[in-house]
Amino acid sequence: MTLVTDLRAILGDEDVMEEPVELHLYSKDASLMRGQPACVVFPRDAAEVAEVVRLAEAHGVPIVARGAGTGLAAGASPTEGGIVLVTTAMNAIDIDPQNRTAWVGAGVINLDLSKAAQPYGLHFAPDPSSQSACTIGGNVANNSGGPHCLAEGSTTSHVLGMEVVLAGGEIAILGGQAPDPPGLDLKGFIVGSEGTLGVVTRVLVRLLPIEPDVRTLLMSFDTVKDAAQTVSDVIAAGLVPAALEMMDRRMCQVVENWLEAGLPIESEAILLTEVVGETDGVISQAGVISEIAARNHATDVEIAETAEDRALLWKARKSAFGAIAQLAPDYYLHDAVVPRTRLVETMEAVYAIADRYGLTMANVFHAGDGNLHPLIAFDASDEKVNAMVHQAGEEIVAACLRVGGALSGEHGIGIEKRDLMRSNFSDLDLDAQARLKEVFDPCGVFNPRKVLPMGSRCFDFGGVRREVPEGVWV
Amino acid sequence: MTYHPPHISWLEVEIPGAPATAFQIAPKTIRDVEAILRYATEKGLVVQVWGGGTHSGYGIPPPPDFVMSMERLADVEAWEPDDLTIVVGAGARIETIEAMLAERNQSLVLSERPGDATVGGVIAAGVSGLRRGRLYATRERVLEVTMVTGDGRLIRSGGRVVKNVTGYDLHRLAVGAFGSLGVIVSVCLKLWPTPPGSATVLVDDLEQASQIVRPLAVVDVDGQLMVYLQGTEAEVESQTERLGGKWTPGLDWPADPTGAWQWSLRVPPAGTSGAITRLPGGWSHLAIQGVGEIRAASDNQDGAEELRSWAEASGGQLVMTKGDPAIFDPWGTKPPGLALQERLISEFDPARIINPGRLPGGV
Repeated sequence: MTLVTDLRAILGDEDVMEEPVELHLYSKDASLMRGQPACVVFPRDAAEVAEVVRLAEAHGVPIVARGAGTGLAAGASPTEGGIVLVTTAMNAIDIDPQNRTAWVGAGVINLDLSKAAQPYGLHFAPDPSSQSACTIGGNVANNSGGPHCLAEGSTTSHVLGMEVVLAGGEIAILGGQAPDPPGLDLKGFIVGSEGTLGVVTRVLVRLLPIEPDVRTLLMSFDTVKDAAQTVSDVIAAGLVPAALEMMDRRMCQVVENWLEAGLPIESEAILLTEVVGETDGVISQAGVISEIAARNHATDVEIAETAEDRALLWKARKSAFGAIAQLAPDYYLHDAVVPRTRLVETMEAVYAIADRYGLTMANVFHAGDGNLHPLIAFDASDEKVNAMVHQAGEEIVAACLRVGGALSGEHGIGIEKRDLMRSNFSDLDLDAQARLKEVFDPCGVFNPRKVLPMGSRCFDFGGVRREVPEGVWV
Repeated sequence: MTYHPPHISWLEVEIPGAPATAFQIAPKTIRDVEAILRYATEKGLVVQVWGGGTHSGYGIPPPPDFVMSMERLADVEAWEPDDLTIVVGAGARIETIEAMLAERNQSLVLSERPGDATVGGVIAAGVSGLRRGRLYATRERVLEVTMVTGDGRLIRSGGRVVKNVTGYDLHRLAVGAFGSLGVIVSVCLKLWPTPPGSATVLVDDLEQASQIVRPLAVVDVDGQLMVYLQGTEAEVESQTERLGGKWTPGLDWPADPTGAWQWSLRVPPAGTSGAITRLPGGWSHLAIQGVGEIRAASDNQDGAEELRSWAEASGGQLVMTKGDPAIFDPWGTKPPGLALQERLISEFDPARIINPGRLPGGV
């Protein structure tokens, strides 16, 4: 029996694709890396996923779980072939308003969850820029962030439990509505593991009450340094706004040219910040922030008065990556994180790298948590430019690590940064991570050769004998 | 005393409150911890890791061959107020660190009344403070963990930045693991700024408390309900007025109930009030409303079995945090994924020398 015949016996003909054009559609995520899947499947529940996992193990082929494919690190690109398991048919939402939680299918779109929760006065806090397309399963796989995770944390802080299909097709329910489930926090470990430990089919998420009032402030500065100092001073004043975003001049120009959102195109940097809470609270917080901005030579401070004004400002922020198409046909969006106090020097280093290669770069990023997103606009059809973009990218990452940063703040490692992991971790650290991967996935079917570089599993300590099953990628 | 290792004998100390063992030691460096654990693995000696002793009642502590205190690994390695991060040794007392952080209006948000508790101890036990409903639980504050595995390997997970998805989150797995993967030697934590205004307001009922959409905490101590507010001074003032009721400036946190037996009852958040009514007569309690965590104390274990059955049927647990594990099972029904947990631990502590059997299910 072939793999596809076996799969069709379980899922039916329609939910297993193998036509070349279909395979091509699912051959990559939003990164630049493409693979060649053997087939694409659309299971409807954990039981079907379990069957797929057992078949994959029996046939010795990888499974790459995928939601909407908005990932930027090639985590969902089937670069080792095998089965692309699309989660979008698992899209039920079951809200428990009393407990402020929801059981959500892995294929539910992030924004659809918040829309469904809105009638109950609730919302899901993680809000990646791709939230109108990306799925909860993808958010869990990458521990996604977004502008509003400054105050509320990334996806991991909002996952209370999960239904997950583990090796051997074992279906496990981990965590729950009650706090502090005893035992090792397996669900917490699975969040952010990029589909390499199992396939998450349903997620129990925390929902937060929609705050009664909000103020969105747009602050303009003549230097990046003044903007960064404002960020630090706001926090020193005891405030953690819901979001604190920075855009540089070039990004403002590009967005403004397209959207006419009223962004100040003459400023070197703008800060977009939002405070939420009771009306009296947001008014006084907005006042404190305005004063701090003025002290740091802000050239202008605007407070969005209406919901429309606020929506337009956020549209400007979240459309930045689309607007960049005006500059060049392709873009390479970086994601690295540095301690907030090292933002200014890191930005300067990043600009210098782009200048040295003559590349067009714009920046829009989460200043509050030091999460940089330098974006290089280029034409990928030019091989020479491609190589330069790649080289500049590595230099940017190195510059971030030099000041005590990390490889990725919210996009994940996937393949994009896999081989840079050695610059972030010691051999022993990587060995420990590889051991955990092996325990979860002894047959090596879950998204192999992602996250960990080749040869991570290279130690043997204390004379403890280890047996590695055949076919394990480590 | 036959297994008394000569190369670590000079680290010997007396640890008040710790179980009596042939020897008790306090490593001075991370290298010491590596050497001690390698030696213990080689000889098959069971070690109980000691912080402040405040969570020593959890689980079934195995009879240890020796106790290792983390008291000398308590330095502040780095504190960057503008980054909201701190790197400290696991043995640092929370109270000491909080006193230092208060000078710059920052907090660890780990525990409001820590007593002798250490940073490493609270993380290993996975317990959280009363502000967890608004500022999240202990696991969300842990950015980086450096630990020594049972077989003496020094490993690090996470990083010293507030947002990070680089690699597997081994540091989150270490929270609440009671050292089963390794001994935590140092951590980087996310700090939180303390705004200038705060108040503690006594209210009559939850309906009155619910006028504030996201207060810092709502705590019920034996039927007395308190709302904790924090923010700008103007904000706190108007919220206090709106709430009505008797109030005092500042945050007046209650102490945990104490008794011969102590408990942690965990239920879905909306079931908190219902859970309080289920407590056997004579139990005192402190409940965090909106979270589903109820800390309780009693003179005996009468009624605990029925309470546990109810809690588990409601999707929660009753955990004994102090008492006699020979009389009452501390954890209750085994959690899922035990075989997986066993295999994970074997990769880190192959000789099972750190707190063996302390976790639920005898893991």
